[in-house]
Amino acid sequence: MDNTLKLIVLDWIPSQSKVIDFGCGDGALLKILSEQKSIIGYGVENDPDKINACIINGVSVIQQDIDAGIHNYKGMGFDVAVMASSIQCLRKPKDAMKNILKVANECVITLPNFGNWELRLGILNGKMPSSAQLPAKWYETKNLHLCTIADFEELCREESFAIKKNVYLNRKGKSTWLANKLPNLFAAQAVYLIG
Amino acid sequence: MKVNTEKVSFVESLALESGEVLHGFDLMTETYGELNYAKDNAVLVCHAFSGNHHAAGKRDGEKKPGWWDELIGDGKTIDTRNYFVVAVNNIGGCHGSTGPATPNNESNQFSGASFPEVSVSDWVKTQKLLADHFGIDCWEMVAGGSLGGMQALQWAISYPNRVKKAAIIAASSKISTQNIALNEVAREIIKKDEDFHDGDYLSKDVSPKKGLKAARMLGHITYLSESNMSKRFGRRLQDPKNKIDADVNYEVENYLQYKGEQFANTFDANSYILMTKAMDSFDPAKDFDNDLIKCLQTIQAKLLVISFDSDWLFPKEYGVEIQMSAIKAGIDSSYIELEGDYGHDSFLFYSEQYSVALTNFLKSDG
Repeated sequence: MDNTLKLIVLDWIPSQSKVIDFGCGDGALLKILSEQKSIIGYGVENDPDKINACIINGVSVIQQDIDAGIHNYKGMGFDVAVMASSIQCLRKPKDAMKNILKVANECVITLPNFGNWELRLGILNGKMPSSAQLPAKWYETKNLHLCTIADFEELCREESFAIKKNVYLNRKGKSTWLANKLPNLFAAQAVYLIG
Repeated sequence: MKVNTEKVSFVESLALESGEVLHGFDLMTETYGELNYAKDNAVLVCHAFSGNHHAAGKRDGEKKPGWWDELIGDGKTIDTRNYFVVAVNNIGGCHGSTGPATPNNESNQFSGASFPEVSVSDWVKTQKLLADHFGIDCWEMVAGGSLGGMQALQWAISYPNRVKKAAIIAASSKISTQNIALNEVAREIIKKDEDFHDGDYLSKDVSPKKGLKAARMLGHITYLSESNMSKRFGRRLQDPKNKIDADVNYEVENYLQYKGEQFANTFDANSYILMTKAMDSFDPAKDFDNDLIKCLQTIQAKLLVISFDSDWLFPKEYGVEIQMSAIKAGIDSSYIELEGDYGHDSFLFYSEQYSVALTNFLKSDG
């Protein structure tokens, strides 16, 4: 997770809250959150190397396939759930969203925007596009359900997921005027606080 | 690696969970590496059901090294160049610590069947006295597999400020009904040996070896996985030249016969019964209104819970239960699930992810 994103999440998550990070990677976000906001944090991750990185970072981590396990964390008193750049990798993103909102009062979702102009150009060239946010080749990608900002926000409206806060970032990870004016075209990533 | 084997004697009376009192007791210990000046590099490793204080290294004339030799040593997972590793034989055992097969202090008779019941928390209490003896205020880590993992968990609960990290491996917060049932069958087999004499066989100079052997054979099956047994022995017939028993047909039979016999020659039947009873009764939540979450809330140590996919004696659900309760309790705890070829016994053997996880856990900030 890049620095701008970390700062946004750091700002949104209340001090001393109980946080679960689905797809927590090396645990860097939870580590910062526990250092700077005294949160109690748990990561869920299934990649052995990333799990080991969490352990070395002193971050509590649970080895589990997210697809199989979000609902297991209901009723555990989480204030905030984080899902950074993972929702598009899940088998059933809509169900995952519903479950996440049962796990915690609020959730922070970040997502790569497939509607970004750079990716649209790639498609126009007749190739599967790639970008800094979506670097993998089509045959290597873990992404199963890529979507645009417009798609995601449409789902939120349909399912009554209330977007409490949002920030749009351009390709360089900056929250620029242009990226916020026409996010579906100019934002490369979107960050939401949903409750 | 510096190894020191020592019997440490305690004169104090030890009030056991059962209500009985041991008037003084001995702990057989073995240590590896050196305790540093600050005495903050100590790691306690707790043995499983049939283990003892000999956790690492190979003694002269020994065929096999200590039970956790794959993980303890210079440059190994628990690196004895940096850590002072302490292993003990628990009371009630039969490898030098006070138990049913050691002469009673007062009467100089074997206590045998009259040796009081011991519990996991009794063991932890004695291990705490041992920490005091070494001048160790706080273990950097307490680790163990199976019944040893239960001790690691009990440490974190009993002495929250005296352990920084607890590695609870292939264990549970209480054993299953099926495990109790299996333990009872093993006990029954021992007790029905004609040489058992209600546990007072030592004074008659006999030993219920046949019962012990059969009990161990049963136990041994539960420590391995079905796939491991198939891979290792298949349906191969035993070479007639090396048959332990004339009736043996298959290699697996011969193996169990051999393992059972070896065990019966080195283990005490009353200890077997005591150890299995301690395992059956382990349930730290019982002191907290049977609420495991409330129980775990007392913990200050960081936990690492490890389960193995091929373990059917302590299946991963038990590890998950500890982890989920730890999350509800809001304490620092990680859970990993490892591939292990050896069933329940997987915790004894090196594998890369296992080793890396334990090393990283040990190195992480407490």
